[in-house]
Amino acid sequence: MNDSSLSDMQIRLLATIFERGAAAGSPALSRWIGRPVRMSVSSVELVELGELSGRLGPDDATVAVCSMSFAGRLDGMVLLVFHGDSGLALVDLLLRRPEGTTVEWSELERSAACETANIVGCAYLNALAAHLPRGSGESVETLIPSPPHFRHEFAGSLLEFALMEQALVLERVLLIESRFEAEGTKLDLTLLFAPSAEGLDALARLDPRDIGTI
Amino acid sequence: MPASNPAENTTEVFVPMGKWAVAQAPTLIRTLLGSCVGVVLYDRVSRWGSVAHIVLPDSRGDAKLPGKYADTAIPAMLQDLDRALGRRSVPRLCAKLVGGASMFQSTSAAMNIGKQNHDAVERILAELGIPIIARDLGGEAGRRLTLDTASGIVSIRVPGGADHEI
Repeated sequence: MNDSSLSDMQIRLLATIFERGAAAGSPALSRWIGRPVRMSVSSVELVELGELSGRLGPDDATVAVCSMSFAGRLDGMVLLVFHGDSGLALVDLLLRRPEGTTVEWSELERSAACETANIVGCAYLNALAAHLPRGSGESVETLIPSPPHFRHEFAGSLLEFALMEQALVLERVLLIESRFEAEGTKLDLTLLFAPSAEGLDALARLDPRDIGTI
Repeated sequence: MPASNPAENTTEVFVPMGKWAVAQAPTLIRTLLGSCVGVVLYDRVSRWGSVAHIVLPDSRGDAKLPGKYADTAIPAMLQDLDRALGRRSVPRLCAKLVGGASMFQSTSAAMNIGKQNHDAVERILAELGIPIIARDLGGEAGRRLTLDTASGIVSIRVPGGADHEI
């Protein structure tokens, strides 16, 4: 496999699929948070390894992150990254606390963040599963996520961990980023979708002709 | 891109994934590591040092991205150090190794890449006769590596933790 395995058309197709996932996930996330939230795909692109630096903000900034692996026809990682104090602000919203109340990540706060990642991640995975190529006689594909796992990590290290499987076989890695806007609150979150190298092979079998049908 | 620190007249150089840098004191060479291994080479007489951010153990003949692979990055570091010193650098060099963590639980062989990188770097440095004088490897967390070329000290920080030195 090389870095030309995804054509421009396939990248456009992926962007369209993920925009559908964002559209499906926005109402679910809005209900969860209790105010209108809009998720949108900000970037679907192949990035040189050496250009990854700074993609999640300063490399040595510590971020909170909830990670979920997924398996099925396609495998890889979904990561919901909380920049700065955004994760704590989100927890205030979820727990109906005045903004600025939450100042540390205890078990309750981590659980709330992980449930948010679960809602957002599953919306994307369901949208993707609905458009994966199927073998003859197969019904709708399912992608099975793991329970989310919370941790703190350097932004630069996190990208490296998430994209290592792709880096094994590619000179450029596929980076899919989503951003979030919430009415009245700054939600500085990034969702990263990082398929494994094998997962990229599956994505490369997406038929660009489908772009007009989804 | 080097950045100057006017307070200490020290230059800082950041090494991206799959690259390497060579610099003389007073310079801080930094990189952020996850599964990758950071190889530090240092000559304490001339106070020249080098840091490589190695992604994979073996280039399998691929010469396009020498900094990505252990078997091409270390020779590239030595070539740059030889050029900077105007002589063969190996006899006065020592090495320190950092990184090679594994963040995600996975059955994939790729998740053991940190160990494979470590093994490859150890073998290559042994073949070159460069002694490894310190290691900070493995675990589940990323690391920020900073080589102070004035002293040869490598400072390591993990998320939420304090610096420690090797």
